[in-house]
Amino acid sequence: MNKRLANRIALATLYAAAGITVSVLFAVIVYVFINGIGQLSLSFIFTWPHGVNAEGGIWPTIVSTLYVTVLAMLIVTPIAILAAVYLAEYAVQGRLVSTIRFAADSLASVPSIVMGLFGLALFVEALQIGFSMLSAALALSFLMLPIVMRTTEEAIRAVPKYIRWGSYGLGATKWQTVRRTVLPAAMPRIITGIILATGRAVGETAVVIYTMGQAINLPVTPLDSGRPMTVHLYLLAMDGINLPAAYGTALLLMILILVFNLGARYFLRRSSRRM
Amino acid sequence: MLLLPVSGCSTSGISAEELIVTGSTTLLPIAEVSGEMFSQRNEDVKVLVSGLGSSAGIESVAKGSSDIGTSSRDLKDEEASLDLYDTPVAYDAIAVIVNPDNGVDELTSEEVRLIFNGTYENWAELGGDDMRIGLVNRDEASGTREAFYKIVMLETPFDRKAAVLPGTGQVRSVVAEAPGAIGYISLGFVNDEVKMIAVDGVLPSEETVVSGTYPIQRTLHFFTVGEPAGDAARFIEFVLSDEVQLGLVREAGFTPITEGTD
Amino acid sequence: MTEQPTRDPIEQSVTGQQAENAPPGTHHGELRLMSRSTYIREAALKNLFLLCAFVAVMGVVLIIAFVGWRGWPIFAVEGVGGFLLGREWNPTDAIFGILPLIYGSFLVMAGALVIGTPLAVGTAVFLSEIASPRVRSIVRPAVELLAGIPSVIYGFFGLVILRPLVAQATDGLGFGAVTAWFILAIMIVPTIATLSEDALRSIPNGIREASYAMGATTWQTIYKVLIPAAAVGIIDAIILGMGRAIGETMAVLMVVGNAPVFPESISDPIATLTTQIVMDMPYASGDHRTALFGMAIILFVVSMGLVATVRFLSRFQTRLDGR
Repeated sequence: MNKRLANRIALATLYAAAGITVSVLFAVIVYVFINGIGQLSLSFIFTWPHGVNAEGGIWPTIVSTLYVTVLAMLIVTPIAILAAVYLAEYAVQGRLVSTIRFAADSLASVPSIVMGLFGLALFVEALQIGFSMLSAALALSFLMLPIVMRTTEEAIRAVPKYIRWGSYGLGATKWQTVRRTVLPAAMPRIITGIILATGRAVGETAVVIYTMGQAINLPVTPLDSGRPMTVHLYLLAMDGINLPAAYGTALLLMILILVFNLGARYFLRRSSRRM
Repeated sequence: MLLLPVSGCSTSGISAEELIVTGSTTLLPIAEVSGEMFSQRNEDVKVLVSGLGSSAGIESVAKGSSDIGTSSRDLKDEEASLDLYDTPVAYDAIAVIVNPDNGVDELTSEEVRLIFNGTYENWAELGGDDMRIGLVNRDEASGTREAFYKIVMLETPFDRKAAVLPGTGQVRSVVAEAPGAIGYISLGFVNDEVKMIAVDGVLPSEETVVSGTYPIQRTLHFFTVGEPAGDAARFIEFVLSDEVQLGLVREAGFTPITEGTD
Repeated sequence: MTEQPTRDPIEQSVTGQQAENAPPGTHHGELRLMSRSTYIREAALKNLFLLCAFVAVMGVVLIIAFVGWRGWPIFAVEGVGGFLLGREWNPTDAIFGILPLIYGSFLVMAGALVIGTPLAVGTAVFLSEIASPRVRSIVRPAVELLAGIPSVIYGFFGLVILRPLVAQATDGLGFGAVTAWFILAIMIVPTIATLSEDALRSIPNGIREASYAMGATTWQTIYKVLIPAAAVGIIDAIILGMGRAIGETMAVLMVVGNAPVFPESISDPIATLTTQIVMDMPYASGDHRTALFGMAIILFVVSMGLVATVRFLSRFQTRLDGR
């Protein structure tokens, strides 16, 4: 076969592969949007579900989702950033560091259902925290930890060396340098990582289904149980009686995820402009 | 029944009396939602509902740890001595459904059982078209499956190759689309997308259920110690009112108990 | 913990804002050697950071401890062979053999890889070798967004859109491995595509230029030079995609039909390790519940094994490159 022709055919195939990937994304988004938009209204967002088939709104599930996500973010952010500071600024390559990295990689690839059962066994049952926002947030934070750690470490490493030299030259200690120059310079990309990990937490189902409980409830304290949007969507979809509410929930969930992704992208762009 | 809000709308009553209702998970939707409605209107009473299973409900009301025990089965012989007062609150009738294009209209309960245990694999064996039977079962946590298992399967195993779906609506929409499919759902959830099978010659309907001629049904009970009194009596009266019977009970897929009494 | 950067950090440090921000009275002394208290503080902080980094290790240890503790007894009850190779999963009769579930997980994963890998690697090659920066700036975020969509939404999409199509095509119910293949394939594309693209982009440009200078076409360069050069990275990506496919729960749960048996065909209902856990958890107790945790142990061991494989391969490659 003519090598030009072969080249054309192959390139067309590659175009097709990318085209299929992108069109699948749009198909999913457009499908959810078209079916969900009719359901969306202020009363759908701000009222409680009622009756045996969960008619009405989904307000408590939105609150539960945001509650657990923010809680998990608060738990994971300081730990993950300081851990990344250690890996990027202090650590000397060796067995210890390679153990930490292997653990982080393993944690990142733990199937979410395993994380859910782990949260159930440790937080809900052994520590007797019960089905609660706190149990779910703790389980989720183990899932988010490696993501935030990795992006933060990359962000810190991307800060040019000369910025550190400037700081040391002025007599700053290592921590002062990290705190006052390196972290601020890396902050937009760190925020990007946090937002991405948070987006992951918003969309997570299998982890929270066994740690947060499933009963609809408006959480007030971290020890309250609740039902997040993902679990609500799962139950509505599998029950199959009230599909319009399922589409509405799916659309709101999708919008939340899009907001998180665009937000992350915004911070990333800001950081690339600065550097 | 997984779709219920835990009564999170707090009632403003400070020293509300508690009415404890324990028992059947099948009855959970009715008990919980009607309990919430009742509490909203009678702020002095807070109805606390939990679903632990029928046996637990009967035991707990007999021991006095709850005011009402709910049950999806009749009392067993050994429970008869507990001297409980029975108020039937609804019928749970289960319709066997097939695709509207399926030529089969009628089956005996024996045939239904042999379909669901995998003995029959093609509709042609039952006088229908040459088409593979697609079994749709419910999940093990389902009260409908439990009832079907007792009444139709006579406690013999289901075919394990059947699709297991955790929701009534899914069973209905799968049967509505797939020509060879057969499933079972509560009578109240049947719509015109699917066709009901006459079992032992009787089509399920509110009439045949109330008259007791349709075979796949059971009665749902509220048990109390002695005749209900006080708050328990008021709550039971509310559950038997047209508002709950014709509204909530039907929405939950059950058949109203009061239909045939007039 | 740190103040938001309100101005350019470079400017900030260069123009001496740094010193202004330092606590009063300290910046004079900093030209001297560190004071004892500063030294202690710095050392304490370093150990605190190490402790934070160790949380990841602690997480893995806790998972092993608690999932293992709850699931281990099933291996004693059924025997390792009886549990892993038992051909029947029938909790009602207290028979806990998970071979059909392992088979289900494997079947679903293998099909998803067969469909998803060409799509993902194709997309990666497109992004790194063909797309203009402009096109890339649209496609790459789209691929990343695909990874961000919650798995319940994929499952919902599969349930209401894909399942009826499969049902029509196969004369079955539409629940089964085939439906899961397509949904999972979509879900693993972002993992494989982004990692493969990173591998391709890390190939030095000189290698491409050498190939083009010999008169090779773009395609010849791609499959004779670039893909072999990025092979280890691409294989790593595929292994991680494999992990994602085996561990995926909700999306698969909604489309496989949940029958814990060896299917007669790819369009018959099946169950996987992950889906059976979710189906059974609400009512499982005793040995049954222990068996579900035992399945979680298997899933965890497999996922750690895949991560270890990737690390091993990367180290292998580093050694090769070093030579």
